[in-house]
Amino acid sequence: MRTKLTLTTPAAALGRILDHLDRELIEASDEEVLEAARDLGMNPLMKGSAAFLGLQCFSFAEFFDSDVLKNLLLERSAAQKSAAAQKSAAAQKSAAAQLIRASNKQPNPRAKSTETRAQTAPCRSKKR
Amino acid sequence: MPHIPQLADQRILTPAQVALALNIISRMDFLRLKAIARLHARGLPPDIGWDDLLQEAFTRAMVGTRRKPQGVAMVAFLAGIMRSLRAEHWRRAHGGPASKESLRIDHQRDLSRAAELRDPGSDLERALLAREQIEAIEQLFAGDPVALGIIAGLAEGRSAAQIRATMRIAKTDYDSARKRMRRALLREGLTCGLN
Repeated sequence: MRTKLTLTTPAAALGRILDHLDRELIEASDEEVLEAARDLGMNPLMKGSAAFLGLQCFSFAEFFDSDVLKNLLLERSAAQKSAAAQKSAAAQKSAAAQLIRASNKQPNPRAKSTETRAQTAPCRSKKR
Repeated sequence: MPHIPQLADQRILTPAQVALALNIISRMDFLRLKAIARLHARGLPPDIGWDDLLQEAFTRAMVGTRRKPQGVAMVAFLAGIMRSLRAEHWRRAHGGPASKESLRIDHQRDLSRAAELRDPGSDLERALLAREQIEAIEQLFAGDPVALGIIAGLAEGRSAAQIRATMRIAKTDYDSARKRMRRALLREGLTCGLN
């Protein structure tokens, strides 16, 4: 004798059916999937099988063999190269700027000293 | 400012494609999920397709909105997300507790005095939709009285043992009927997207 009263509105009934059938599909083995596909004349193991229609899909191997990935890698490498070039140009520019700043602050001490020496050195001939 | 390659922007893979590419699911799992998505899309309005449901499940899993518990298979996890998406949609359509259509009698924060105004037509519409979908599922197993009996038992909320007892069938007969049902559901799922 059943002890539980269940509400059987069509929506509740559909919910119960779907939840149960969902579990059945989760448990379906690979062989069952292949058999169902074979019934329909499909071969899911074949590249571009109709079984995968509805969503464009890539397998792991297909993805790494695809033009999409090649283009992405090319783009990424170009972007990396351009970023590296920009970075190196910026580094060179900043080094040059530092050099200029440094040279403005401390001009060649030897050049100055020579000049100073030339201006301040006593004339030996006069002394004589 | 980082430079984003323009080509990458134009060639965004769908979440399902990313999952396949990253080997998160196998090709067979993908077909299983396709059939499950087709199943859960039943009873939802026509504007929500099985592929929307599947992509949304993948998105939630990959974005991290839903976290996969350890030890749960990826297919079971994604199927669970689809199940809750379906329930969420029905709840929303039904004007559940989280619905914005709820209207309070007064404007105070007394929830006990809150009332929800629901469209009485929505229940009827949902019932009609559900009945239609049950009939469509029964059509899948037309000519298989055991499978039809199982569906009727499930609709009434009976357990496997109760169904077997009611139908007076052995466990082996019940299990072979389940196998036939799985195959019919897979066949139906695999034909999705062919039209």
